[in-house]
Amino acid sequence: MCDYSGRLVAWMDRELPDKEAGVVERHVRDCSECRGRVDAYEQVSRAFVAYCDAAMEKKTRRRLKRWVPLLASAAAAAVLLLVFHPTTVKQMPVRPPVADAAPAVVVETETAPRPVKKVHRRHVIAPMKPPNANWALAEPSIQIAIPVEAMFPPGAVPEGITIIADLSVAADGSVQGLRLQQ
Amino acid sequence: MSGDSLPLPLPLSGFATDSCEATTLYRELRKPLLRYLVCLGLSADEAQDMVQDAFLSLHRHLASGGSQENIRSWLFRVAHNGARNRQQSYDRRFGKPLDPDLDSISDEATPEQVVLEKEKLRRLGKAILLLTESERECLLLRAGGLRYREIGEVLEIPTSTVGETVERAIRKLAEKCNV
Repeated sequence: MCDYSGRLVAWMDRELPDKEAGVVERHVRDCSECRGRVDAYEQVSRAFVAYCDAAMEKKTRRRLKRWVPLLASAAAAAVLLLVFHPTTVKQMPVRPPVADAAPAVVVETETAPRPVKKVHRRHVIAPMKPPNANWALAEPSIQIAIPVEAMFPPGAVPEGITIIADLSVAADGSVQGLRLQQ
Repeated sequence: MSGDSLPLPLPLSGFATDSCEATTLYRELRKPLLRYLVCLGLSADEAQDMVQDAFLSLHRHLASGGSQENIRSWLFRVAHNGARNRQQSYDRRFGKPLDPDLDSISDEATPEQVVLEKEKLRRLGKAILLLTESERECLLLRAGGLRYREIGEVLEIPTSTVGETVERAIRKLAEKCNV
């Protein structure tokens, strides 16, 4: 074995002092045996790095594989829910908090004049709460709430009736008339 | 955790007032650190955690006025010690530290080349198992781009010993693989 063979890897790795590296370099140029060794060492070094990369790749991929079925199941469940359970949340109109329970008759009008507006509301018997005065300042709309107790004697209101209100609004926004139909 | 981005307290104050420098350090060393830890036998998750811990330790070290020299070997040493502590605390052998998926190799090569490449790597894998722990660690750190001096700092052995160990390990692999 050549005397320089023990320094070939260090020379490849540029770990030798400059002077010593020059000596080894000249020797490698002239010695076919050492040149062959350097080639072999370089190949092995590259293969070692590739081997390590493949090992890391495998472990990383295995970790992903564990999550794939779980994520796929979650996605499938979400799709099934959407398909077989159509949306149950309806978009509610933005309205000031007048009362928790629905009023007997609720009519909204904009400040812009509208001649006649028919409003269909399902009647619900519920105690009426006074409207919050703050909302009127924030939103220039008119809301009229008439408790059913004011229109019908106690016990005389049939359940599930629909009240149709004809509202007449003047050009200046004031209410001209309100007529209830049944 | 995956992927490739980890939530780190960057920039590293005290060390890198320039956040680009810290980011560069993270980008440069993250993958070699991960590869080193995985090849030592940690799982991918454990290795990710360990790398994150190492960078957090670096942040604390520098924030408390620690030395800014030899940061690469410092990080590898923290990761190395963390891996070894974990190994001892779980009382387990890192049985198959290097167990690559050979199917993932050489996608662009011809079938003959793929077969030859796989065979070569199988032989290399067997040869790696015959290395001593120190030889394997030296080669892993060398594959991570560390200089002999840095490898010596990580493993707490003299630089000359690192040179001899690397030389011996490479020669063994070359002989076993008939390269």
